[in-house]
Amino acid sequence: MTIVYILIAVVVVLLVFGVVLYNRMVRLRNEVDTGWANIDVQLKRRNDLIPNIVEAVKGYAAHERGTFEEVTKARAAVAGAQGPAAAGEADNLLTAALGKLFAVAEAYPDLKASDNFLQLQNELSATEDKIAAARRYYNATVLRFNNSIQTFPSVLLAGVFGFVKREFFAAEAGDRELPEVSFQP
Amino acid sequence: MTLQQQIRANRFRTVLVLAAFGLLIIALGGAAYALGGTGLGGLVLVVGVVYGIFAYISSGSMVAKLTGAHPVTREEWPEVYHLIDTVSIAAGMEAAPPLYVVDDPAPNAFAAGRVPAKSYVVVTSGLLEAMSKRELEGVLAHEVSHIRNRDVRLMTLAAVLVGVVALVSDLLARMLFFGGGRRKGGDSAQAWIFLVIAIVTILLAPLAAVMVQLALSRRREYLADASAAEITNDPEGLALALRRLELDHREIHNVTSATAHLYIETPLRNTTGPSKFVAGLFNTHPPLAARIGVLEEAGGFRLPDSLPDAGDIELPIA
Repeated sequence: MTIVYILIAVVVVLLVFGVVLYNRMVRLRNEVDTGWANIDVQLKRRNDLIPNIVEAVKGYAAHERGTFEEVTKARAAVAGAQGPAAAGEADNLLTAALGKLFAVAEAYPDLKASDNFLQLQNELSATEDKIAAARRYYNATVLRFNNSIQTFPSVLLAGVFGFVKREFFAAEAGDRELPEVSFQP
Repeated sequence: MTLQQQIRANRFRTVLVLAAFGLLIIALGGAAYALGGTGLGGLVLVVGVVYGIFAYISSGSMVAKLTGAHPVTREEWPEVYHLIDTVSIAAGMEAAPPLYVVDDPAPNAFAAGRVPAKSYVVVTSGLLEAMSKRELEGVLAHEVSHIRNRDVRLMTLAAVLVGVVALVSDLLARMLFFGGGRRKGGDSAQAWIFLVIAIVTILLAPLAAVMVQLALSRRREYLADASAAEITNDPEGLALALRRLELDHREIHNVTSATAHLYIETPLRNTTGPSKFVAGLFNTHPPLAARIGVLEEAGGFRLPDSLPDAGDIELPIA
């Protein structure tokens, strides 16, 4: 009889342990999804701004067609990217294209001084700060989630319940490392 | 300690603070019963319980009143709001908390609120004048971490409950002082009454201190620093901000032992004399130098001893 009780106790403990692990993985996966939604919101916001900026520059430098096309193409690539890794790469290309666009704008003092252009520029740089912030959060959640499903003991359950590794949102060089800070004195 | 563990620990400590307050009300009720019979005892109990419930529900706005903080709009401070927006996004918050200001030249900051959605971040006008953008970002990240880690509910509640304890303690001390002259009559019942008041008064201050100790742990500040460094990816920015606070010796005016624990650094460090003992009871902020040391080690940098003037934030303060 005692043996049976012990076995039942062991099974119950294992079940409770499994439920805790499962819930933890679900919570971490939800955080990853939220993190990605945050990036998506900011990427869309920036994509909405870009046509206005292109129009503003066109008004002064209509002949720079190549630059405009590059920006428009990169913008479409970001909007159509499948998955965080692809979106990250498209995002880097778009940032480079926008850099060229602003280099063009540099040559037109009237454009640079116009209120409309200044405001668009400010909004764009504010949105880019937010994309960077959202990326930091998202990549941190991905790291936590991936660590949890690849380490023992949750790795035993991850396969059974179909938890798969998530992609990082590609980081610019030098922005890849998160600081490890211990709060112990 | 993970974020989830911290949140659980905070929930447990919140229950402890409420229980400590409950015990205190019962003790006060007992003292009132000894003083004025069933009527007074009952009154104190009812007032105490009603205040406790009221404090729990409206602690957020009460702290703003206690500290003299008033809200600032996005239009007034676009730059600071932009900083707190990005910090909140990087912290994974659903929305950025609103900003409040305390008009005081001493640089300091805190966060308050009962639930994350209704929490707010308070800065002094002196903080904005003293800090560079990078440093301010670190401070805001520290405060947003307190909100995300669910530290604020506990800290806010402690501030409100300790506030009333301090008030009652003060009241009793006055009664003791002014009533002292009449004791010469030698009435034994009166002597008992004053003994009871004296004991309650003596017990109140340490009890309040215990409540604040529950609300605060040194670890909480280190954890918020660590979270802030992760959020901004810039431990040096926060370390610079802390160094600036360390070098500044001005004290914020409108602060009591009830609200002191809310701030990013202790606002009562210049207190001397008899109140220094009381301030010592409440002083649970780890020294700034130690906090800077942890950040220096984590980020692999070393701060210079002196700092250049900051002040690159545009403020349309009237």
